[in-house]
Amino acid sequence: MKKALTYLISCVFVMAVHGSMLLTVYNNGKYDSVNDVITLSAAVILLDAVYFAIMPLFKQRTYAVDFMLLLILNMSMIFQSCFGGVHFDMKHFITMIAALVSCRIGFMLCRNHRWIQTKKKFFWAGIGILLVVIFLFTGDRSMWIDLGFMSIQPSEFIKPLLVLACATSIGEQQNRHKVGEINIVYDNVIIFGITAVVILFQWWCRDLGSIPTFAAIYASCFFMRICYPKAKFSRKTLIIAGSVVGVAAIAGIILAPAYVKARLFADIWSNPTGDGYQQTKALISIAEGGWFGKGPGYGFLHEVFAYESDIVFATISEEWGLLFAIMTVLMLLLIVAMPLVNPPRSYYHGTMCAGVCAAFTTQMALNIFGSCNMIPFTGVTLPFISAGGSSMVTSGLMIGMIVAAQSPVFTNPKKSKKKGKQKRRTV
Amino acid sequence: MKSIKRCQLVMTLFLLVFLICLGVLTARIYKDASFYITHSENYRLGKVYDRNKDVLFDGTNKIDKPVDYLIDVGNLIGDDKGQMENTLVSQNISKLNNYTFNNGIENKNGKAAIYTTLDHEANRAAYNAFMGADGCIAAYNYKTGELLVCTSLPNIDPRGGYVGIENMKSGTLMSKALYGTVPGSTQKVSTVITALEILGQEGLYAKSYSCGGYFINDTGGKIDCHNSWGHGKQNIQQAVENSCNPFFAQLVQDSDMPLESIIEMYTKLGYDVNRTEETETEQEYIDIDGIQCFKASTTLTDTSEFSTQWGCIGQGETLVSPIQLMMWQSAIANGTGKMTMPYLIETVTDVNGNVTERAKTKYSEQIFSTETADSVKQILLTNGANHYQYSIPGYKVAIKSGTAQVKHGAEENALLVGFVDDESFPIAFCVVLENKYSTPAVAENIVTTMLNNLAD
Amino acid sequence: METIIYSAALLAICGIVLLFTSYLENRTGEKVWKKVTDNMELADEANIYNLECDEILIGRHAMADIRIQDMSVSRYHAILNVTDGKWMITDIGSKSGVFVNGEAVRHVRLYEGDVITLGNRSLIFRKRVNR
Repeated sequence: MKKALTYLISCVFVMAVHGSMLLTVYNNGKYDSVNDVITLSAAVILLDAVYFAIMPLFKQRTYAVDFMLLLILNMSMIFQSCFGGVHFDMKHFITMIAALVSCRIGFMLCRNHRWIQTKKKFFWAGIGILLVVIFLFTGDRSMWIDLGFMSIQPSEFIKPLLVLACATSIGEQQNRHKVGEINIVYDNVIIFGITAVVILFQWWCRDLGSIPTFAAIYASCFFMRICYPKAKFSRKTLIIAGSVVGVAAIAGIILAPAYVKARLFADIWSNPTGDGYQQTKALISIAEGGWFGKGPGYGFLHEVFAYESDIVFATISEEWGLLFAIMTVLMLLLIVAMPLVNPPRSYYHGTMCAGVCAAFTTQMALNIFGSCNMIPFTGVTLPFISAGGSSMVTSGLMIGMIVAAQSPVFTNPKKSKKKGKQKRRTV
Repeated sequence: MKSIKRCQLVMTLFLLVFLICLGVLTARIYKDASFYITHSENYRLGKVYDRNKDVLFDGTNKIDKPVDYLIDVGNLIGDDKGQMENTLVSQNISKLNNYTFNNGIENKNGKAAIYTTLDHEANRAAYNAFMGADGCIAAYNYKTGELLVCTSLPNIDPRGGYVGIENMKSGTLMSKALYGTVPGSTQKVSTVITALEILGQEGLYAKSYSCGGYFINDTGGKIDCHNSWGHGKQNIQQAVENSCNPFFAQLVQDSDMPLESIIEMYTKLGYDVNRTEETETEQEYIDIDGIQCFKASTTLTDTSEFSTQWGCIGQGETLVSPIQLMMWQSAIANGTGKMTMPYLIETVTDVNGNVTERAKTKYSEQIFSTETADSVKQILLTNGANHYQYSIPGYKVAIKSGTAQVKHGAEENALLVGFVDDESFPIAFCVVLENKYSTPAVAENIVTTMLNNLAD
Repeated sequence: METIIYSAALLAICGIVLLFTSYLENRTGEKVWKKVTDNMELADEANIYNLECDEILIGRHAMADIRIQDMSVSRYHAILNVTDGKWMITDIGSKSGVFVNGEAVRHVRLYEGDVITLGNRSLIFRKRVNR
């Protein structure tokens, strides 16, 4: 009964936020015909209602993350539909639903960690297949596969797979094998190898924006592994690892190719129409928007390339104000911070949450700070807010992992196989 | 348990780092937004007013006045288009920042403004008095330093844009009062000051030289007098009133006037003496609220040589800006030997209408003694009383005229520098009327018109 | 401009509400967790150890979930696992071995009331006592 009440209250508040945003669009927005606003409102409210009706069918311990996800996604829908004048952004709506579905998939996939830990080889294989696919099917050193009606960025899908690969290998820490004089955990070597290959591959593809994300996922998982209770943790390992990373970072900056260095230390204002065109436009539009924005649809940034993905933070800032843009980012943070309120119950789920958190914060940092010229601009997407199917689906998958960590099951996979059609015990 | 706590620790670390960076970003945007906005096409500056709240510049381009309404001060006030650099708006663009991050770009009630000391009406009257002739006029309150009039012809009303910029007359896009011009006989004021400082009042009055229409100096150079009949034997007062060239050539050549002392005195007055490209790299300027005003320069090599004497008479290589000529008058008028530094900005208000800057009267260092100031004042007042009583009626003026030969003698510019010796109307002025024989305009009339307008 | 402020405020409130929801869910989650773990706990003479995740390390090491500071206990001594309400104990290469009810074991299921002996120290596996 109490659960139903909190569920209802959450529904009401999520809908109220969307309602107030739509009201803002109606009051302050730029639209030719009020029908556009009505269509958008109908789509958003309908999706809310349908989602709230469907969710109780999944027996979960918690629903908070799902609510947050829906909140963010529909906010994103309203943002994207208002850029440069209110319209109904069908493509974004579809990718949004895809994100919700992939969140469900992620949840179903990851909630039983004993089962998924037996499947770790599939994730390794998955990464391998994706790398081959990128190698074979993308254009010359590009990260995109053009299918005609849509483009897919396969490297995005490596991110959740890497998180899963890192998390599934966590239990193997005690299986040391003596090779020569050194104790080696095979899984650690494999994970390190996979990460190294992926990063080198990204380097080769000139997709420098993804490298920090992969590095962050690996770093979080590496930290979790050396802290794993069964691993023989020592401060020495930690210090060595830290200094290696530090030296590597410094060496990376010194040895980086000229065009990377140029990006690192460029003064974008000396030539606002040159390399720093997008950042200068982004910063100008943030400044023009001020705290409270110009009103949905009234921005000019939608005329700049990648307004809906790479510099989306500035586009939102311009139309809705910096305050609202920061609030949106904080909501995104709140999703990945949920495991702090509602802690995971197994080390596997904890590692997964940490990996997802690392991936999300790094992506967000690269996108937001990059577009605002605090760090080099790399052109990564802002999870859920940026338009783009690949990013949406993978981000949904990763949030699904967090949902799974909050509502895990602890049944043995073999038994559940035997019991087959019996109703699984959900917790 | 502990292991889960460690998971949470890792997550907290990531989140904290991100949050700190987000905080830094917000602070940075808040701080630098007014810089970013200057690159925006939609950015509009605040307003510039004259002393009577007449709008001289509006960032929103909404001055609802005739197209040439600002043609008198256009090249002094300037705009934000970047065509004219040495202008009030260009040099003080940050003070006109009419943007705050709190309100965003849609800020219609920004009160950022510069309140100048200019009197637009007087500028306009003076401008009209030129009757289309080229030239410039500057006038300021020599007690406070408020620059009241500074107009120059040809001029431009920047609101109309810069159509046909390649066909514009040279000097259109710069206020001539700020730039060097041949001072003609107005230079003799400096020479008189120099002589007074070197010889003393009695010493100078004891000197008298005769003029026979021309003078051959020790090195054989010929200094012509504008009166080919000659002025006969004169003392300093008469020589100033006659503006007699041979007198001043002989004065400069006099053995009691050593070259070093003349150079020292000229340097004290602010001349850049014997400036060559090699000796100095950086040219010095007089700063008027960020606007650079040309600093006088001359060549003094040998007191018995033509070019040095010619320079001390105000022809040849000597260049002085009208503003500086006017400033020397203030040192005489004040009787202190200290120049009153002119300023253009009375107050500056920020976007909320708060006054952020208020002008203060500043004086230069003492450039000559008070005795010298009194003597020169007397000479110039006598000159004014004897010769300008009718051409500039109603004012007790101390004045020195000048005729500058330019374009190798092809044209002659008329100059007048002086001040009104009146405690309640302390105005020093300098007017340059270019090519005076080609226009019906008269320098005295321009001054009178301007003074009448300022007095109202 | 006002509506955007209201929207932002509502968004903030919504965030707080969802956080609070999550906190409430955490408390119901505790109940569910009790079911999963069969509401068991470990105790010795001085301490009671809650079993709050599905994998618990017992040892002398500072990083161990249940730390027993006794030289007879190995730094990484034994590990507890729970699956579907069934607890298992596994010896992970301890020097002094793991004994359940006096019997040396490597990998065995635990039942209510079992006494686990690690070196010189004993722990009782029992139903959670209300405090």
